[in-house]
Amino acid sequence: MVFNSLDFVFFIIPVFLLYWLVFSKSNIYQNLFLLTVSIFFYTWADWRFLALLLGSTLINYYLGLKIYSSPEDRKKSIFLYIGLVFNVGLLLYFKYFNFFYEGFYEILNVFGSTSTYNSLQILLPLGISFFTFQTLGYLIDVYNEEIEPTQNLLDFSVFVVFFPKILSGPIERASSLIPQIKEKRVISYEVSVDGLRQILWGLFAKIVVAENCALIVNPIFNNYENESGSTLLLGTFFYAIQLYADFSGYSNMAIGVSKLFGIQLMRNFSTPFFSTNISDFWRKWHISLTTWMMDYVFTPLSFTLRRHQKKGLIISIITTFVLVGFWHGANWTFVVYGLLHGIYFIPLVFSGKMNTSEIVAKGKLLPSIKEILKMLLLFVLIMLTDVFFRVESVSVGFEYLQGIFSLSIIDLPSVLFTSTILITITLVGFFILVEWMNREKKHDFEIGNYNIYLRWVSYIFIFVLILIFGKSAETFIYFQF
Amino acid sequence: MEVDVIKSKISAVLVSILEHDNFEMHDELTAKDVDGWDSLSHMMIITKIEEEFSIRFKLRDLNKLKNMGSLVSVIQTKI
Repeated sequence: MVFNSLDFVFFIIPVFLLYWLVFSKSNIYQNLFLLTVSIFFYTWADWRFLALLLGSTLINYYLGLKIYSSPEDRKKSIFLYIGLVFNVGLLLYFKYFNFFYEGFYEILNVFGSTSTYNSLQILLPLGISFFTFQTLGYLIDVYNEEIEPTQNLLDFSVFVVFFPKILSGPIERASSLIPQIKEKRVISYEVSVDGLRQILWGLFAKIVVAENCALIVNPIFNNYENESGSTLLLGTFFYAIQLYADFSGYSNMAIGVSKLFGIQLMRNFSTPFFSTNISDFWRKWHISLTTWMMDYVFTPLSFTLRRHQKKGLIISIITTFVLVGFWHGANWTFVVYGLLHGIYFIPLVFSGKMNTSEIVAKGKLLPSIKEILKMLLLFVLIMLTDVFFRVESVSVGFEYLQGIFSLSIIDLPSVLFTSTILITITLVGFFILVEWMNREKKHDFEIGNYNIYLRWVSYIFIFVLILIFGKSAETFIYFQF
Repeated sequence: MEVDVIKSKISAVLVSILEHDNFEMHDELTAKDVDGWDSLSHMMIITKIEEEFSIRFKLRDLNKLKNMGSLVSVIQTKI
């Protein structure tokens, strides 16, 4: 049941009403109800792994208590390691087994073995990359004494399975989500309306912007051998926009839906293309994953390597980004994607500009020429790297890039003057404009301070755009991760 | 070592890594309050503090650092 489906509308309206009208007496009722509807939601999406999700919840709940209550450090570490092996093991088995299995046979073949392998048919449990990271973070926080484990199994279960974020995040932190679950939620008109705004904007990003871009992107990527360099370049442009609109759209809907239940999830995107360097970009792109990787991979690693100064820092950054890439899927393309992003950081390490994170043109209407050039350069770099996010294999990725940097880059793109392109460019332009105007706000469509007429004109305008240009979409790019 | 001495040494470290002295030293000061003090420069600051006081932190010490006050008390337990 995706957010942009009629099924979801018929699900969310009664759930919203029951939550506030019938189950609002105490947080225990609220949580029991949220747990029930979350299990229903997950079961509807894919019933086969419900037992896995609930089993993992129980085991992590128990391990959290054990880490906390063990008197000696050694015992605490043992329970933490059990947790690491269990959670990482789940991911490795369901997501990466065939990747390593094939790799193992390929190495054997290099040494002259002629044995062949048969990939196992392993289905990927929905949301596994998201919920295992969330529970892993929980256990590490308990071990580091950053948080106390929750004694209440109901609270912990809601923390893991809460339906707005179970399929594709944001990857929540225990320190932010669990206290909200422990408190009784009170309905707020402003928060609910703000949630609806965010849902509307997310819906627009997904089914108008991302899906219209996909119509251009798919034929170009599917037929890349026969396209001119300029057409391929155009394909990467629209893919970069599609990827962003797809996942930020999903995230806005997830956060908006959650607000309807009085729970604030973390921001996942913060207008990332309005960045002037790569480090700034990653502070604003898939924030819940990046901060997770920062806290649980980069910090320990760079701490261990701190005596090696810049060399240690570079090794830590590159390792972290290779893992960021690999988290997306068991394919070398994601490793290359992460590796390239890690490499882009190296100039920043040497120039000492790693820490700059600023809102571009803060308080002004327009950016300076220098800022525009920096943003454009960064965007082109990211958009070319995104090719590896889209293609099936690394060799196809390089062929695609080679195709761009050929003489035919000066030809007119084969698809330039079609109505699809012109409409999509206009929609993308509108999308970018609204994001630009709201870049200093708490989310991309926080227009509560506009006057009432302007607000309603905006809602109706976007609603009409959705009706006219919206495409039905069964899935999101990030559901496969 | 006296708290004030420790604090002034930390101040000197911050100035040398962050290249500005745009902060006021007090117990509630956190990394968020200081321009440019993020997870990346944090490591450089930590390393420099270790050198200055001839101590070694553990990763768990690092996680306990909530503000300047806790940094000073962790340093005190080590020297």
